[in-house]
Amino acid sequence: MNIYVTGIGCVSSIGNNVIDNIKSLREKITGLKKPIFFDSKYASEFYFGEVNIDNSSLIKELGLKNEKGLTRTDLLSMKAFDEAVRCANLSEKEISSIDTAFISASTVGGMCMTDQLYNDANLISNTKDFLSSYSCSAHTMKICKKYQMKGISDTINTACSSSANSIMFGSKLIRSGLVKRAIVGGVDSLAKYTVNGFNSLQILSKDRCTPFDINRKGLNIGEGAAYLIIESEDVIKDKTCLAKISGYGNSNDAFHASSMSDNAIGITKAIINAIDIAGIKPDDIDYINAHGTGTLNNDFVELVGLKNVFNNNIPPFSSTKSYTGHTLGAAGAIEGIYSIFSLLHGELYPNLNFKTPIPDFNLSPITKNIQNANIKFVMSNSYGFSGNCTSLIFERINNVY
Amino acid sequence: MFIKDTIAISPQNTYNNDIFSSTIKQLYGNKFLAIEPEYTGIIKPNQLRRMGRSLRMGIGCALPLLRNYCNVDGIIIGSSEGGLEDCIKFLNQIKDYEEGMLTPTNFVQSTPNALAGQLALLTSNNSYNTTHVHKGLAFENALIDAKILLLENKVKRLLVGGVEEISNYNFNIEKSAGQFKDKECSSSQLIYSNTKGTVCGEGSTMFILESLTGNNNIKINDIQTITFPTEEELHNTAINILKRNNLKIDHIDILIFGMNGDIRSDYFYYRMMEQLFVNQSVLMYKNLVGEYPTSSAFALYLAYNILLKQYVPKDIIFRQEAKLKYNNILIYNHYKGIQHSFILVTKENC
Amino acid sequence: MDREQLKLDIKVQIIKYLNLLDYNPEDIKDDMPLFGDKGLELDSIDSLELIVMLEREYNIKINNPADGRKILKDINNMADYIIEVNYKNK
Repeated sequence: MNIYVTGIGCVSSIGNNVIDNIKSLREKITGLKKPIFFDSKYASEFYFGEVNIDNSSLIKELGLKNEKGLTRTDLLSMKAFDEAVRCANLSEKEISSIDTAFISASTVGGMCMTDQLYNDANLISNTKDFLSSYSCSAHTMKICKKYQMKGISDTINTACSSSANSIMFGSKLIRSGLVKRAIVGGVDSLAKYTVNGFNSLQILSKDRCTPFDINRKGLNIGEGAAYLIIESEDVIKDKTCLAKISGYGNSNDAFHASSMSDNAIGITKAIINAIDIAGIKPDDIDYINAHGTGTLNNDFVELVGLKNVFNNNIPPFSSTKSYTGHTLGAAGAIEGIYSIFSLLHGELYPNLNFKTPIPDFNLSPITKNIQNANIKFVMSNSYGFSGNCTSLIFERINNVY
Repeated sequence: MFIKDTIAISPQNTYNNDIFSSTIKQLYGNKFLAIEPEYTGIIKPNQLRRMGRSLRMGIGCALPLLRNYCNVDGIIIGSSEGGLEDCIKFLNQIKDYEEGMLTPTNFVQSTPNALAGQLALLTSNNSYNTTHVHKGLAFENALIDAKILLLENKVKRLLVGGVEEISNYNFNIEKSAGQFKDKECSSSQLIYSNTKGTVCGEGSTMFILESLTGNNNIKINDIQTITFPTEEELHNTAINILKRNNLKIDHIDILIFGMNGDIRSDYFYYRMMEQLFVNQSVLMYKNLVGEYPTSSAFALYLAYNILLKQYVPKDIIFRQEAKLKYNNILIYNHYKGIQHSFILVTKENC
Repeated sequence: MDREQLKLDIKVQIIKYLNLLDYNPEDIKDDMPLFGDKGLELDSIDSLELIVMLEREYNIKINNPADGRKILKDINNMADYIIEVNYKNK
């Protein structure tokens, strides 16, 4: 059973829609800067990938003036969701159909309102507007309500691999025949909660992140949302399809709560499983959109994993987190969409800020925009805390042009 | 998929005792707290020291199962909120120390996938590992995930479970939102209270699920969820799940319904039993464990034990119809009248 | 606070911060390794907890986690470092 991507929607620090994201990737414009809207002690200290639109403008744009309790997470997810369903031309009837699943993902959910949550949890709040806004699933429920979606709905939280896993779960639901189509992806917005969490683990960089560089100093946190409409070959008819989802694999590294094993067990197994499901060979992978957060541990172990699978024939790779920062629960879906851009336009996007390879490997990511690349299979990697490793494989559709 | 085994930590004496052979514990208050076992024999002190309630309860149930049934091909957890107490501890640190130097343990432990990750870590399990957090359908989605995985031939055995903890954080927030009763309530009155709100519950229920039938032949035949249904759509969903499994309404021997004593949303259950299932015994379970998003995992625990032992404890009977043998149980639960689910459990005759 | 008192205080704080349920202060020997396969068997997250402990309880800032590991080798090292920093500050 083939699974086709028929629509995409995306908002990140490098663009408020799909087209603007492509433009920034092509023109090597990073979204990492000192944030304007995010309120935190660290706003002036670290770089962030902040989406360049404030909440009240989002509310206006989405036509939601009379609704209460909307968080930035809700708004970003609704924006990307709307773009994706428009792109796929889904009717309201198709969206609410019992044959359509909605699988979202988030790690911070409505806890982006950290101060309001503190007040509500400690019973010192003077408003009741946000009481049902904090859970990871709150944004999913609000979108379900808006579109009266009745089918399978879900929210996944496996930390930073969350939306890669929502793409995987949606694909499996279609392949098993339980649904005909799925809207899959995820969202996270900047939150004191996560920024302080990552800071307590001392893995935030004070400079713009430099994935795969010997002098990398940690990650930058970003925000964003992305959704893909994926449909079974039985229902696409004459629709324009953007790509195929050919493979997916998940494995747990079973090593440590917040770091990866030196021999990259989980990473290796996830890649092998994805290649196996796709029914291809490692050699068939033409490009890898790496997880590449820019932390000492992740980038080293990810390269070990790539070595384990590809030996000395590692395909061209890069981390687009040098543009967006680490968008956590949205990362898998945003980078999945960037992988689809690569397939659609035959171009590979560079890893910004890279200078010197890690000596153990002497491997350099792509540092220039490559055009007219003949690529058929792109792999996208996502790894999360608690050892969660997921790889996805997207495939070009030949007749799309 | 077949249920091979199950362990529960709940506000009842489910962990070390068989609630089917002893009396049900009467509870009183607005929180029905789980009875936690002595973990020292199960979890090493060096690991236990960092675990909050939901992690402890989850690992306390899952680890003995993972040790008894080796080679599990996947760990799938449903938990709406994960480690809430850790979450609020970290939140309070952010405020109290004004975003200064904070200790990371609460942050790392608060993520809902900490449980699935820890289980993989403690048993060196590199297989499929995921966590569904979709409120009142978090456990159902874990079951759907498991069902798909077991249909793939390579996979034979999974650990699947649901866990939720009561913390000040969710209790205060849900209380402010009107989810719980104003007055304290006893477990025997809860379902018949005729007032707004319910009682906050918690617990951990873990299952070993297998693709092949074992010695007890108890099978999860089907799972169906529906969100924002009209009543007609809801009843049709119930009928469809039976049809799909070649069953008629009369084939259902027992219904386990999720009444929680909230008059604002219990009518879904009453109309279902008055209009659709008029001849069946109806059992209740939230008088035993309270209300929480993954409570349907406890309903499945009861269904498994009833089919296995062919016995129904009297404290959970809401409406009784005589039956000689129990083969088919339909669980129907909803969360806040929005997320509805059906789980069909069958004892296959050999 | 003299050195012996300080060492006892550090042990009490470590037990509190790391929630070492089965330890009393006297169980932690002064030269017992805190990290690795022997001794207390603490890990990298614990070391971050102890760095926060040093800041909150003894007013000592460690910016580089690698330095932290050296200072946090055992109770003797921690006590020496705290005394040294306090002496310098005077």
